[in-house]
Amino acid sequence: MTESAERGAAGQRPARPGRARVPASRRPGGTRPGLARERTSLSWTRTAISFAALGGVVLKANVISGLIILAIAPLIWQLGRVTRGDSPGTSLPAVGATRLFMITVSIVAVALLCLFIAIFGRAVPGALR
Amino acid sequence: MSWSRRLAALLPRTVAEDTGGTEPDPRFTFANERTFLAWSRTALALVVAGLGIVQLLPPFPGVPSGRHLIGLPLIALGAVLSVAAYAEWVRNQRALRRGEPLPRSVMPWILAATVTGIAVISGVVLLLSAVR
Repeated sequence: MTESAERGAAGQRPARPGRARVPASRRPGGTRPGLARERTSLSWTRTAISFAALGGVVLKANVISGLIILAIAPLIWQLGRVTRGDSPGTSLPAVGATRLFMITVSIVAVALLCLFIAIFGRAVPGALR
Repeated sequence: MSWSRRLAALLPRTVAEDTGGTEPDPRFTFANERTFLAWSRTALALVVAGLGIVQLLPPFPGVPSGRHLIGLPLIALGAVLSVAAYAEWVRNQRALRRGEPLPRSVMPWILAATVTGIAVISGVVLLLSAVR
């Protein structure tokens, strides 16, 4: 009697003949990143788009600052691509803390720039009226 | 632990040198990274909202600094959330490597409390503006 058949006989969910119930982590390819890699890549793309959107808003208030932030957007997208571009199979590229640290530094710098523009910049009141 | 040590522990070089534990399941690593990116987008959205309120909204009649009262805290919160998201990513990655339970996150609490505070300020500014 196979192991799976024994488990079925023990009162648990009966196992189908020839199909052993094994945890996902033990299945062949069970720990492969699979679609997680794709989702993370899309997440990087969304973050880059968010930067571009912020650049668009800042462009309205201060052209040079807006252009700088718009230029950051493709860099962010590239950061996400560089790390997991062509690595095959299960091998996960070293998730460097440096790139996430760079994102954090960028956001803090952009927030400080926006604070400066908000306090000292010339407002365009009624642009959203 | 002192603040300087805490900050030093967040530097990328210190994080890279921490080789304790074993490399976790790649899916968990990716999930941790996505969570960090989601918080980063939230931070960016707060900055956009704050700047939009200050720069683009018409002024509140009778409350000249109303837009700044609402917008500036939003921008500051964006910066704080971004740093907190990175710190949380480091803590989570460390816990994943060592097979420890994930630490409790205070970020939702910070976000909820600040947004509630700003909503209250907005209500007060709107009321004052309607009365005057």
